[in-house]
Amino acid sequence: MRARHLDVSHEVSHKVIRAAVALLVTACAPLAAPLAAPLAAQTPPAAPDPASVERGHATFTSACGFCHGSNAKGGEKGPDLLRSVLVLHDEGGESIGPVILHGRPDKGMPAFPFSAQQIKDIANWLHSSIAATKDRDSYKILNIVTGDPKAGEAYFNGAGHCTSCHSVTGDLKGIAAKYDAVTLQGKMLRPDFSWKEGNPPHQVIALSFTVTLPSGQSFTGEPMNLDDFNVALRDANGAYHSFARTKDGPRVEVNNRLQAHLDLLTRLSDADIHNLTAYLVTLK
Amino acid sequence: MFGQLLDPALLTKPPVDAWPTYQGDYSGRRFSTLAQINQSNVKHLTLAWIERIHVGIGQGAIVGGEGPVPEGPPTDPGVSTIKSTPLMVNGVLYFSTPDNAWAVDARSGREIWHYTWKTRGGIHIGNRGMGMYGNWLYFETPDNYLVSLDAQTGKERWHTEIADVKQEYFSTPAPIVVGNHILVGTGGDSLDVPGFLEAHDPETGKIQWKWWSEPLKKGDPGFESWPDEYSMRHGGGMTWLPGTYDPDLHLYYLGTGNPNPVLTGKSRKGDNLYTCSIVALNVDTGKLVWYFQPSPHDTHDWDAAQTPILIDADIDGHPRKLLAQANRNGYFFLLDRTNGKSVVTAPMIKTMNWSKGISPSGQPIPDPAKEATIDGVLVSPATGGATNWPPPSYDPQTGLFYVGTVQEFSMFYLTDTDPHPEGWGAAERGVGDFGGDLEAIDIKTGKIAWDHHYPFGGGPVGMLTTAGRLLFTGDGARHLVAFDPANGDILWHAGLADDLSNGPITYMLDGQQYLVVGAGDSLYSFTLEP
Ligand code: HEC
Ligand code: HEC
Repeated sequence: MRARHLDVSHEVSHKVIRAAVALLVTACAPLAAPLAAPLAAQTPPAAPDPASVERGHATFTSACGFCHGSNAKGGEKGPDLLRSVLVLHDEGGESIGPVILHGRPDKGMPAFPFSAQQIKDIANWLHSSIAATKDRDSYKILNIVTGDPKAGEAYFNGAGHCTSCHSVTGDLKGIAAKYDAVTLQGKMLRPDFSWKEGNPPHQVIALSFTVTLPSGQSFTGEPMNLDDFNVALRDANGAYHSFARTKDGPRVEVNNRLQAHLDLLTRLSDADIHNLTAYLVTLK
Repeated sequence: MFGQLLDPALLTKPPVDAWPTYQGDYSGRRFSTLAQINQSNVKHLTLAWIERIHVGIGQGAIVGGEGPVPEGPPTDPGVSTIKSTPLMVNGVLYFSTPDNAWAVDARSGREIWHYTWKTRGGIHIGNRGMGMYGNWLYFETPDNYLVSLDAQTGKERWHTEIADVKQEYFSTPAPIVVGNHILVGTGGDSLDVPGFLEAHDPETGKIQWKWWSEPLKKGDPGFESWPDEYSMRHGGGMTWLPGTYDPDLHLYYLGTGNPNPVLTGKSRKGDNLYTCSIVALNVDTGKLVWYFQPSPHDTHDWDAAQTPILIDADIDGHPRKLLAQANRNGYFFLLDRTNGKSVVTAPMIKTMNWSKGISPSGQPIPDPAKEATIDGVLVSPATGGATNWPPPSYDPQTGLFYVGTVQEFSMFYLTDTDPHPEGWGAAERGVGDFGGDLEAIDIKTGKIAWDHHYPFGGGPVGMLTTAGRLLFTGDGARHLVAFDPANGDILWHAGLADDLSNGPITYMLDGQQYLVVGAGDSLYSFTLEP
């Protein structure tokens, strides 16, 4: 799979994977890779025990949340602990512990006679909250079904021209039972979308090439490569064909079954998207 | 003792028998006055050598660093990808990847020394290269050390910490040397920390000045563009790409990164200066002289870090000192570099849908309806931008600016509904890609003079133009390609083992012009058949 050498966002360390090329190289699954590759530090710390994190969360909410906010992002009486340099430098409670045990009475931070385990649990919860903030691939998308299903239906049957290729009693029947709302919206915008949809992903092979030689002979098949100098495809019998592209060389036609969906992106308003989604989720 | 390897005077001239700084020269235009390789003979370019790098400890590497001895060889692909632009001084190439630096004989491609750094962590996505001062080299590490090496031996002279890896800073820029200042920036926007640029002493590594990308307190310049001190102190604005320098105006030009939290602006109402800005700093003091903000109140990760290229050209018959930038937000900007005033603002891509137009001061006006919502908004460009870090080029012979662009759409979903969101605060899902383009932009109008479309590849990639009337770049399909910079005709190409991953360079050595590119884990050197 070809990935751009992009260091996005100082550099958001993700390589944007070319959707179209992902489609080209049909052998590599998942077809549309998640947008962001995991951030890879050299030595990833082991994830803390989830039970400890859970306990830490509970203790924090009851003992600390009043001042630091139940999500530790700070409140009226205590600072944000997810942005605290002390917490960021802490390992396993070694720096947080003394603050909890001794407090900073002169500054409004009371002391708590907590056990080593309780401190460790709180530290684990704070660190896992920071890790979750850092890892934007893990952010949970909330309720996206806010549109008007009636307006969505009208758009589907009218201005959207969706019915020229789809039918809610045919290919899209029961589609809402197949996908959760986020995946369904993703499928509608980009049918080769495979983000978090389970294994095996629903693969949509959208492209085919037809190469016609000056002699009139022509070859059609699955794309293997297309650039300024070469075109290659695999035909229905599995045979691989490759051609040099020159001025008087073969004519290349690219057929993209999903072109209509790509073009939709330049026409859909956000309201259309929300309304269509609200309509599609009713197709149980 | 050795003489000075790098004569500082070289830095202020167009590079000929050297490539002494990240951009070749201070202007950032990546145009070479060399013409031995030209349109009439480019077909006879031939491979001189390939050098494949071996990263990490082993094979005689000089080892430094503050981290533990790694258990095995580095596995992050960023460590084995040459994104740095090599320096070439006195027949030796100097280049780097995260935690690694090399000197290679420019005649043979053979390694002279390899230095590797034991890391404490940080994101290992890329490293832009090294800076050189006399006999000394400088590079930055993912765990935010500025390291100085002896160019002859690769032995470490000193290292100094510039930012805290625990706060998710990580450093990728190539240090830029101006006078006795080593200019170093940093990156990292996973948590909400402020950006800065520092000048260090070349001999001792001591800090000379520090410029913060945001005001630190109420009353500082720019503070009115933030709601409170807390938001500005956590406001982002990374300095993750090298800038350019005008020796006559004594100004260092730098593009700054996006504000934090990245994809939602509700806790940082206002323009958020000096994030997403092009700034001009007095190089001796680090004081801000002017700024121009391409993306006021950005909420899409479109930093303005891309190379601000310095251009001298006539506008309406008057000679002007100009600065051009192809911005991640999808616009091309031409400014007066004496004062930061807009000359041209023009869109580079057709899919762009986030702006309501251009203000009288030349700034795009963000459409608030395109900021992430819980139920999602469809935006182009995606967070990766219309373009990104790979260096563009300006050719004074054509008056055209060459840049790789891409047209993508993403959905932006608000995920952090707290009044004080943190980190990115929203999720992005890529939903479509209209391919990439190599664009040749007329700087005076912002119009696209010619365009080479890549339906399935291309996009942001390094560029080099030369007086031989050649434009060298990659096509995202593993080819190094020479274009006619006047009209986009393809004149020559060579297939490499990977996509071009850095900015190409050229120089004279022993009377021959060479072209050197990085693609994946290898450097390739080309020259004319004898
Ligand atoms: C009555 C309010 C209050 C409660 C309850 C409270 N804190 Fe604090 N905490 C504060 C204040 C105020 C500070 C800032 C003290 C200062 O300025 O040095 C603070 C500071 C801290 C710090 C140091 C942050 C830094 O960057 O220096 C930590 C860690 C901390 N608290 C953890 C906790 C934990 C864990 C609990 C629950 C077991 C807790 N706090 C309960 C008010 C509170
Ligand atoms: C020109 C034909 C065409 C038009 C018009 C079209 N689609 Fe599609 N659509 C397709 C194709 C082809 C697929 C991929 C089907 C497959 O193989 O899974 C698809 C897939 C989908 C899917 C995912 C189906 C699945 O099972 O994964 C959804 C949802 C969808 N389209 C919705 C729409 C909506 C809503 C519209 C109108 C706004 C629309 N489409 C317009 C051709 C079209």
